[in-house]
Amino acid sequence: MNLLGALGYAAVERISDGSFQVQGPAPEWLPSGPLLDIFPFLESFLPDAEEFWADPKGRATLYSDLWTQDDRHFCAIAVAGEQKFLLIESAEQRFQQAQSFVQYAHEASLAREQIAKLTEAKTEFLARMSHEIRTPMNALLGMVELLSETPLNEEQRKYVRVFQRAGDNLLNVINDILDFSKVEAGQIELENVEFDLAEVVEEAIEIAAVRAGAKGLEVGSRIQPDVPTHLIGDPGRLRQILLNLLGNATKFTEHGELSVAVEKQDEGTLHFAVSDTGIGIPANRLSTIFESFSQADASTTRKYGGTGLGLAISKRFVELMGGKIWAESTLGLGTTMHFTARFPLGVGTPKPLQEPVVSLAARALRILLADDSEENRFLIRGYLKDSGSIIDEVENGAQAVQHFKQRAYDVVLMDAEMPVLDGYSATREIRALGATPIFLLTAHAFREARQRGFEAGCTEHLTKPIKKAALLAALNKFVPISDRIHVAVESWLKPVVGGYLEKRRGDVTKLREALDGGDFETIRTLGHQMSGTGGGYGFEHITEIGGAIEEAALAGDPVQVRASIEELDHYLSAVRVE
Amino acid sequence: MLKKKICLVGQFGVGKTSLVRRFVDSIFDERYLTTIGVKIDRKDVTVGSESITLMLWDLAGEDDLAQLNASHLRGASGYILVADGCRAASFAKAVELQQRIEDQLGSMPFVLVLNKVDLRDRWEIKDAAVAERGWPVFETSAKAGTGVEEMFLALAGKLVE
Repeated sequence: MNLLGALGYAAVERISDGSFQVQGPAPEWLPSGPLLDIFPFLESFLPDAEEFWADPKGRATLYSDLWTQDDRHFCAIAVAGEQKFLLIESAEQRFQQAQSFVQYAHEASLAREQIAKLTEAKTEFLARMSHEIRTPMNALLGMVELLSETPLNEEQRKYVRVFQRAGDNLLNVINDILDFSKVEAGQIELENVEFDLAEVVEEAIEIAAVRAGAKGLEVGSRIQPDVPTHLIGDPGRLRQILLNLLGNATKFTEHGELSVAVEKQDEGTLHFAVSDTGIGIPANRLSTIFESFSQADASTTRKYGGTGLGLAISKRFVELMGGKIWAESTLGLGTTMHFTARFPLGVGTPKPLQEPVVSLAARALRILLADDSEENRFLIRGYLKDSGSIIDEVENGAQAVQHFKQRAYDVVLMDAEMPVLDGYSATREIRALGATPIFLLTAHAFREARQRGFEAGCTEHLTKPIKKAALLAALNKFVPISDRIHVAVESWLKPVVGGYLEKRRGDVTKLREALDGGDFETIRTLGHQMSGTGGGYGFEHITEIGGAIEEAALAGDPVQVRASIEELDHYLSAVRVE
Repeated sequence: MLKKKICLVGQFGVGKTSLVRRFVDSIFDERYLTTIGVKIDRKDVTVGSESITLMLWDLAGEDDLAQLNASHLRGASGYILVADGCRAASFAKAVELQQRIEDQLGSMPFVLVLNKVDLRDRWEIKDAAVAERGWPVFETSAKAGTGVEEMFLALAGKLVE
């Protein structure tokens, strides 16, 4: 009996002339003919087999890779010994096993690649949509804010309030969607700052009380005395969870009250409970309400609205805080949403959640504003109109860099996406020229946009829609109060001094050009004009500088001319009219 | 008749086996069946006045678990680097393989194949990155048959030059 043949092997021996002789009866699957012609694969294996036969290094066999030809699968096995025996295995079973394993790994890998691509495309789409939606929202909400500050009759004020509320609601929906996509993409990172728990709860209650109060609901909170209130964590996200739960509670409650209770569960873990006396949630829906786009039933969406993302987002935030979230409810009696969260104890003094916004009225700044959207430039101008700031407006990054080179600014407000040169590149160029604060204004709420901005060298990142308070807070926080030169001018002159100073700023450019061209006559004339007019408007120092320029031009002294031009530029940047 | 060994190398799933099947059997199968070890086919072609038997060695695609076995390239007259136009990583792998083959076996004729040209609107491989290499490039579709025969015959032509 040909045992090897029965097991699926053909045994051959390599003889001295290099050819092969089949040992025993050939199995039926082995065609006749020279072995190397039948199996070209052996060309690649024989050098290794020869080496093995010469020195097996204590091993009994050397296996080749599997190979396939004419829809059959084979393997060659060199056997150690005096003679050079080779087994050709008809390796159908081994091939199938190897293929099923590798096939699975490859298919899984290809699927992973595909999912990664889809996720990337989705994130890109959301970032783009975020930008596209936030840009006009910036203009709309900003204009409403400005409109609300103008004299309005009662009817107009009511319309503006509706407009504002609808805009805020729309913004909340957009933020929910963006937050959720960030959660999905794993882009949410919690802050670790010291905060006062009582302040966070109180603030959430205050905000929720506005809507709840309008429905006649009472809102209260109770923090157990043993709860440490000075903690380390992310107060913004904690407030967002509380607001979300209180928002739902308000939405689904027609009579009664809402409450927030906080107690200590164990060392480092707090237990929060947000209760209402509303319609309740059916028992069979309690476990699914935390899933994305899920509400208790479809009629809920029709009646109460909402994206169904709030609880899914809250669940993820709670998990990031090392806790869990669950619900208890009795239909018709109310719901209690529970969650736990871990917070280390704070050691220093917690930072106030909201820094007081100081009015910019007292702070007249020289501002370079780069934004290709006329509406957005109009909006920023409107926000700062009472500050006395001088705002130079440009429409692209290249113009911003050019302006920055010509004049000293207190701050640069830079839109991120502009033609010719975008805000990131312009920020990089301006940052190379000096340390002036640069605020990057983007419609991207994504972390990448912030990171990209900070990498380019921006000082602060403001996400559109930009609120007036946010802009003023950033200006107060980041723009240092420098040595201003305050000049008191007579009231009747105030309407014209702005134009006068603006012309002198234009003179700085003309003077520099004239100096570069060696045109001392133009320099002398400009100096003479300044010398003759400055004092008349109340700017004695301009008269002095003008005189110095005229004198230096007459002497043909470029060094002195340049020094006087720089002094004039600095003076014009620092001077503020009182 | 002249016999020439040509190896197909590249990342897994780029379509090496499908290119051979299209060339040898004029068939395309939508199912993805990963190659284990080596798959050997032959095809007789005529280049100019020369008749050649091409021995086509379709080598298992590289993945995280298995690397190309250089011994399979022994005796090869040329090779085909295959990348999937829709997967940027497969081009990087082709570049890496070319370097390894040249380091181990020295210079020999080869062509770069960017497969799946029927999905060109989804391509990730940038034309400039490919052009930068200065390699002979063929865009093929094993599915539609586009460019497949031309590519094999062009390499065969190089082998008999």
